[in-house]
Amino acid sequence: MKFVIRRFKERSYWQTFEVPVKKGMTVLEGLFYIRENMDPSLAFRASCRMGICGSCAVKINGRPRLACETQLSKFKEVKIEPLDNYRVIRDLVTEFEGFFAKHKKVKPYLIAETDYENPIEQLQKPEELKRYYIYTLCIKCGSCLSVCPSSATLESSLGPAALVSAYRFNSDSRDKGKDERMKIVSESFGVWRCHSAMECSEVCPKKIEPAKAIQLLRREALR
Amino acid sequence: MGILSWFKYKSPFGLAFALQRITGIILLFYLILHLCYLSSLQSKELYETLTGITVSKQFMILDSLLILLGVFHGVNGIRIIVHELGFAHEIRKAVLAISAILIILGWIVGSYILFIALGD
Repeated sequence: MKFVIRRFKERSYWQTFEVPVKKGMTVLEGLFYIRENMDPSLAFRASCRMGICGSCAVKINGRPRLACETQLSKFKEVKIEPLDNYRVIRDLVTEFEGFFAKHKKVKPYLIAETDYENPIEQLQKPEELKRYYIYTLCIKCGSCLSVCPSSATLESSLGPAALVSAYRFNSDSRDKGKDERMKIVSESFGVWRCHSAMECSEVCPKKIEPAKAIQLLRREALR
Repeated sequence: MGILSWFKYKSPFGLAFALQRITGIILLFYLILHLCYLSSLQSKELYETLTGITVSKQFMILDSLLILLGVFHGVNGIRIIVHELGFAHEIRKAVLAISAILIILGWIVGSYILFIALGD
């Protein structure tokens, strides 16, 4: 199968590889084959190889996907590019510092009144967990930000992944940091930057519906 | 990054987003031109002569296109409002399909009404 890869080393160019394909082979396995047998200089990120770490998100035939979860049998030819809306460091590796800085900005952790001298178990009912469970599945692959047209035109825009995290912790019955987070996400670069293009929900490999989380955050911001 | 990223088509939703912006800009320019054109017609005779030219079957294709732009912008706008209120995200594909049908129906009906109104 033909692998057409957008390389980047000082300048951007396309390179084609012919990869022997076996049944059940993924795009990531194809990339490893190229690196091990054809061109050891090919740079890409990968870690868990099972759709959990989110490292291998790349643009495959024009759409962001996890390379480890994309079967080659789906295509006749694969065209692989780095994700949009990120600075390319080399080949398929993009700079993710900004993405994680945005994530950190919304305080993506439980803010609870914990007495460390006399700690108690923080209980939660199953229905309370159900309220935000789907949003805990985000693997921070960055696909949503790469297709967000609103984030493409304003670098300071928080983007879908960070806002999903904010909604996830705001909806947690054990959390006490909602007011702090709402101040951050209610800024013009937060929830109000979203123009409902819905691309984030379309490309999310975990089917999290980031667009819905953003709209629900907006409701809270108006209260 | 840049404004061209707004028009990078990835799914039908991205296409709808891009078209919403394009139709919005065209409708805004049309409205400005329309108001300038009408306000420049100071006498009754001039008004009747020039509107007699533009309100005719020769201009119907342009009027029909204007209806399409208006109906698209309106119906797609309502679809976005529904989603922005936090509803129907899980059935967004069906909502988009229904919106597309409504746009085509609205365009056909609007153009037909225009055709009848123009008479001979």
